[in-house]
Amino acid sequence: MQPSTFRYLSIAMHSLIRPILDLFSSVRFGIVLLALLFAYMSVGSAGILYPIHPNIFHPDAWVHAQMRQWRPFEMTEFEWFHWWPFDVLMALIALTLVTTTVRRIPLRVVNLGVWMIHSGIIMLIVGSVIYFGTKVEGEAPVVRRTVTIGITAKDGPASELIATGTIVAMPGSKLTVGQGADRYDVEVQSIDPSWELRSGADIGKRAYSVNLMITAPDRRFMRQVIAGYPEYTEDLIFTQDKAQPVKRAVKETGKPIIDTRLFVALDYCPQTDFYLKNDLEKSWALYVRRPGETRWVERPVIGLPLYNDYVPDLNEVFLGPAESAEPRSLRVMIPAAAADDPAPGVVFEATGYLRYGQMRTRLIPGGTDAAPNAVAAVDVSDSEGRSAQYRLIASDPQKRSADGGVLAIRQISDEEQLAPLLAQPTLVFRVPSRNITLTESVKDAALTDKDAQWRPIGPVDSGYAYRVVAVQDDLAIGGRELSVAILELRTPAGEFRRWTFSDATMSRDLAPGEDPMAAMKRGGESFTDKSLEVEYRPGNGLALALLVAGPEAGRLRLVDSLGRPEARVVDVTPRIPVELAAGVKLTVTDWMPNAMQESKPFVVPQSQRQRDARELFSMMRVNQVLPAKAAAAPTAPGAASASTAEWLTYHPYVFDRAQDVLRRYWLTPSTITLADGTALEVLFSRQREPLPAPVALETFELTTEVGGFSGQSSSIRNYTSVVRFQEAGGTWGAPERLSVNEPVEFDGMSFFQSQWDPPEEARQGGMASAGLNYTVLGVGNRHGVWVQLIGCIVACLGMMYAFYVKPVIKRRNERLVLEEIARAKAEGRRPSFAKHHTESVHA
Amino acid sequence: MRNSSQRLLSACCSVLLLAVVALLTCAPVRADDLPFAQQVDLTPLDRVAVFSEGRLKSFSSFANQQMQFVTGPRKIGGQGSDFTYFDLLFRGNAYEDADVIYVKNREVRARISEAALRADPALTERLRAFEASGLVSQKILNLPPVRTELQTMEGDLIRTAKEMDSIKGALSVKDPSFLLGSLRVIPPADGSLDKPWVSIGDIMLLGADPATLPAAARDRPMNAVPGIDEAKQRQLAADWRGFVMAWQQGDATAVNTRVKAIATLLPTLVPSIYPPAERLEWEGWYFRNDNLSRSWLVFLGAIVFLLLGLVYRWKRATQIGMGVFAMAFLLQTFAVMLRWYISGRWPNSNMFEAVTTAAWMGTAVAFIAEVTFLRRTAMHGVVALGACVTSMVALMAAHFLPVQLNSNISNMMPVLHDVWLYIHTNVIIFSYALIFMSSISAFCYLVWRMRGGGLAFARVGGAGQAMEMMAAAGSGAAGAASGGAVSKTAHHRATGVGEVFDGVTMLLTELSFVMLWAGIVMGAIWADHSWGRPWGWDPKEVFALNTFIIFALLIHVRWKVRDKGLWTAILAVAGAAVMLFNWIVINFVISGLHSYA
Repeated sequence: MQPSTFRYLSIAMHSLIRPILDLFSSVRFGIVLLALLFAYMSVGSAGILYPIHPNIFHPDAWVHAQMRQWRPFEMTEFEWFHWWPFDVLMALIALTLVTTTVRRIPLRVVNLGVWMIHSGIIMLIVGSVIYFGTKVEGEAPVVRRTVTIGITAKDGPASELIATGTIVAMPGSKLTVGQGADRYDVEVQSIDPSWELRSGADIGKRAYSVNLMITAPDRRFMRQVIAGYPEYTEDLIFTQDKAQPVKRAVKETGKPIIDTRLFVALDYCPQTDFYLKNDLEKSWALYVRRPGETRWVERPVIGLPLYNDYVPDLNEVFLGPAESAEPRSLRVMIPAAAADDPAPGVVFEATGYLRYGQMRTRLIPGGTDAAPNAVAAVDVSDSEGRSAQYRLIASDPQKRSADGGVLAIRQISDEEQLAPLLAQPTLVFRVPSRNITLTESVKDAALTDKDAQWRPIGPVDSGYAYRVVAVQDDLAIGGRELSVAILELRTPAGEFRRWTFSDATMSRDLAPGEDPMAAMKRGGESFTDKSLEVEYRPGNGLALALLVAGPEAGRLRLVDSLGRPEARVVDVTPRIPVELAAGVKLTVTDWMPNAMQESKPFVVPQSQRQRDARELFSMMRVNQVLPAKAAAAPTAPGAASASTAEWLTYHPYVFDRAQDVLRRYWLTPSTITLADGTALEVLFSRQREPLPAPVALETFELTTEVGGFSGQSSSIRNYTSVVRFQEAGGTWGAPERLSVNEPVEFDGMSFFQSQWDPPEEARQGGMASAGLNYTVLGVGNRHGVWVQLIGCIVACLGMMYAFYVKPVIKRRNERLVLEEIARAKAEGRRPSFAKHHTESVHA
Repeated sequence: MRNSSQRLLSACCSVLLLAVVALLTCAPVRADDLPFAQQVDLTPLDRVAVFSEGRLKSFSSFANQQMQFVTGPRKIGGQGSDFTYFDLLFRGNAYEDADVIYVKNREVRARISEAALRADPALTERLRAFEASGLVSQKILNLPPVRTELQTMEGDLIRTAKEMDSIKGALSVKDPSFLLGSLRVIPPADGSLDKPWVSIGDIMLLGADPATLPAAARDRPMNAVPGIDEAKQRQLAADWRGFVMAWQQGDATAVNTRVKAIATLLPTLVPSIYPPAERLEWEGWYFRNDNLSRSWLVFLGAIVFLLLGLVYRWKRATQIGMGVFAMAFLLQTFAVMLRWYISGRWPNSNMFEAVTTAAWMGTAVAFIAEVTFLRRTAMHGVVALGACVTSMVALMAAHFLPVQLNSNISNMMPVLHDVWLYIHTNVIIFSYALIFMSSISAFCYLVWRMRGGGLAFARVGGAGQAMEMMAAAGSGAAGAASGGAVSKTAHHRATGVGEVFDGVTMLLTELSFVMLWAGIVMGAIWADHSWGRPWGWDPKEVFALNTFIIFALLIHVRWKVRDKGLWTAILAVAGAAVMLFNWIVINFVISGLHSYA
């Protein structure tokens, strides 16, 4: 190479690099970058405000929007702040800082402050790159105890279990173990988070106690198990004693355990995974398994949106009234990711997403070939102009009657079924030994209250009497629909309650406090007093106005027994009122003889969405990708396989079995039939990662303010989870206390107190819970946090130096210079200065 | 000539000062149409503790809090909250059609009013008053069209559901049975801190003759609380019944006697856990006097004098202004310390406390700086002026926006129980106070420039300028012997007011810059062990950093431009605007993780 060429190259390089270096060492450029950073952060965090109306002075003309949530972005805060424009901006700022500091600010004592600030900020940026580049964060629910159940063979050795099972210790969770004569139904009845031990050496101590309702082949009883004290396991039995319906078995029989075939123990319920949040980045996942299997296999769903709705075909969803939407397609491939995927060749695609949806079922008119199912909208008004509207559905036992059964609808398939519906409901009492027979209409009796008068059966002094507690029609038991009259009976044998069914074989007497549903299942003697026989003929039940649909398609009649001893039958024409007694008018405003159910996701209108629900009500539409068809019709993604598409509801956590589901969560997998005809179960949730070690919850403690826990969060001072980590070799480490603001570190991961299990009233037929059955731990790593911190501290010290030390140094130097000038003047010489003194004076 | 005009001004100022003091000391004027309300003296009940939401409160602060659920920031008929509480309880029927339920949202007011008008056009006048004051009666809310409208609004979770919740809350709190049940004044017998207190309603029929009771009351249980002296409970019940009777008959003398008896008896039931009477009494006093937020008037007085001193270079006015400022500062200190004493923790855990404590910290720093190193400099009075405006604005907000800045003392969320709450929060709010103060001097600088001020700025930055001025003042005091030194006034004239304003802006900005950075870092340290990450891009965090970026811009722009003073002032005001945006818009509109208050 010629020397001249080298020189030219060098000049060229210089002329190229110099401007760049100059740019990056320009304070103006730095100011521009800072201003850009300000704007970027403001838009990402607070959102933007824009006018939608020319009258910009009216407040309603402005709309606030989070731009990062718009369809082209669909970004969480973290995603916005790790998007490439932000990264580029930060890189430019770092570069400018370094170049400016090195090129423009001489490293001298006066400038130490600004050097410290700038290098501190560089350290902070480096630390943040490490921190957020390696950050994982999620949540791990940990259940306090699991109930392990085992049963031995009848008369078999105690060591040989013939059936086993486990359920999480949470009120309402249940399991059947064994079959036939070995069948045990176990249900967690209640839990006491701090049960006080009442006997033994540990008297006064408090422990977690679980009460199980056991339905054994021959009896029902309760078993109490106490965490940490297996020796205090004992049975509780039901007695006829009203004052104490449940007694400790040891008091009655002398033995604490009455059923030695059943073994129950409480064990830790270790959590091995944590669930990633849709926060650092979106972390959707689809879980798959073959039907019958318990273990789910994860498939990450990369690229699914988060904030907006995507519905390819609006006919697939219900929209709220006055809501409109456009169809929007979506296509996110979901291939198998794990080696053990049950269908490795099957690729799914997400073709729809709802931020806030709910599966809803509506009734629509079916075609003429649809099964008869009468649905009627009824308006009942009285002479004073008051009216009430009802909707009755013949096929739904819950919605077949209204107003406590006074108004009802029935579907008949044969004209012969009409006659029994005309009859009044009656009770027939027989006491064969006394030759007493009494037939009573229930209609008036049933409408009285619980504290009704006793009515004698036979002569007043017969010793037999009854009163009706309640009558219920359309009880669904064991796939059949039955009517029941609940009676309180008084016989020479005592007072007791009898459930008298329309099917007499089901009737039985209940022990005080006994659960009726359980009583139906129990074997043994049905009646307390066999001398009294009762028969219940439901007739038209409680209904004073009974609509009868059928047997011909489209026929609707009314059985009217309001205020008349004999029921009459009237043909009903929609929208024409039928006059009943006492000025009451009944109008069928609308009716469908063959209603069909249609289930679709309901797109909840924006105004009805709970603000803090986040992605809890999200739904994803998935279908299998069919290679051949997709190739044939490439312009219509999803259309080819639309018939097999499913809308899946979101699951915050993935449970293997129904017995593992935590309170307030759910497990509702869908089944997809694949192209090859086999079925696959799928579940929409989020990605999970393994914890460094399994973690178990020893106890959960609530610390309260003055006055104890009032049910309101303002009375809580702290939440504490006492956890144990599994060490190598499977042993459990020492208990560690973890509470709000006090995380526990294990193997590079920090564990935080995140959520808890509050006490809860019973709802929708479920059981009440005393709470504290599980905890949710936050899990996360924190690499690089020390680099960040040191950077921040250095910068902070630099600021103090620059503002408060530098002026002092400058003043001192200034004084030295002035003094030197004065001295030199006096001595008649030229003043001479140390270089750094003058520099700082002129700086 | 000049002397006489000064004397006149001086006299005017004294009158003004007296007026301010008079305004502060005189009690608010009460409506005259309720003589009973004026005769009743409920102050003895200040000694009574009521258990509410996990705290033991003085009765009047409890009543204040409960009545806020009903009447919002308004007082009914000029009555105190404690009076309204009992009146609603004992004469509930009288309030059936009284406008006592507060509706905050103006849009909701308009919709209710429109619906009510449809039902009854005669209500026009009243509904107009409602739209202005926000107070409406239960009867109007129960009109069928209004009910339908309320139901519709309940369904809109984004815009109106919250307001409907508070209306429902108001209706349920207003209910006499709720008011009675909430009067949990009887401590648990064993003195346990984990057990709830019992309502007076549970024992009020003890020892009563059933024949004299109304039918509805006959079925109530009449058991004494086991473990507490039954004779005392009977006495208490009898006094309570007498109190109710006297109230219903409008017999103020009997009411006052009974109130005294009840207030004396209650603390003796379970003395071991009863809160000290002094604390309860101070608490009652504090809430009855509007948390001393009226002291904004004293700050206003100080501002007037300081401005006079500044504008007319009138030394005496500055001196008086500093005196009033010192008085205001003492009052404010007393208010903060009293709140600390009452609540048992440093006041920094809700919006009210953050605003008032921040202002106090700003004032304290200004006061210390003014009486120590700034006393003889040209900056004298300017820092105090900034502090006065800051405190006045803060206290006015506390006084006039009691809904947004709720002064009730309630328990902190578990996550706030950390030492970093006290470090991080105070450093941050201190820096915010400084930012606001610096924006005041920056504003003064801008005004000065607009009125023809020249291109002046503090040559060596804020702290440097202060040091220079201190040195100048010091050498001035040393005497004119050195000859070269300038006297203070001469120095003042030479540098100009602009340099002083810019110097003060920079002095405060530099300190707030360091404090804000330190505060953000401390927040990150707390968040690292509390939320699991030092930085979460939470809106409040982002805007704290944005505020910092504005000041970083200020420092670099000041470095580059020629007109340093002007750009500094503009950016200091912009920084304060971003800080206020963070405090107001982010807190109330865009909520995030930081929404504790």
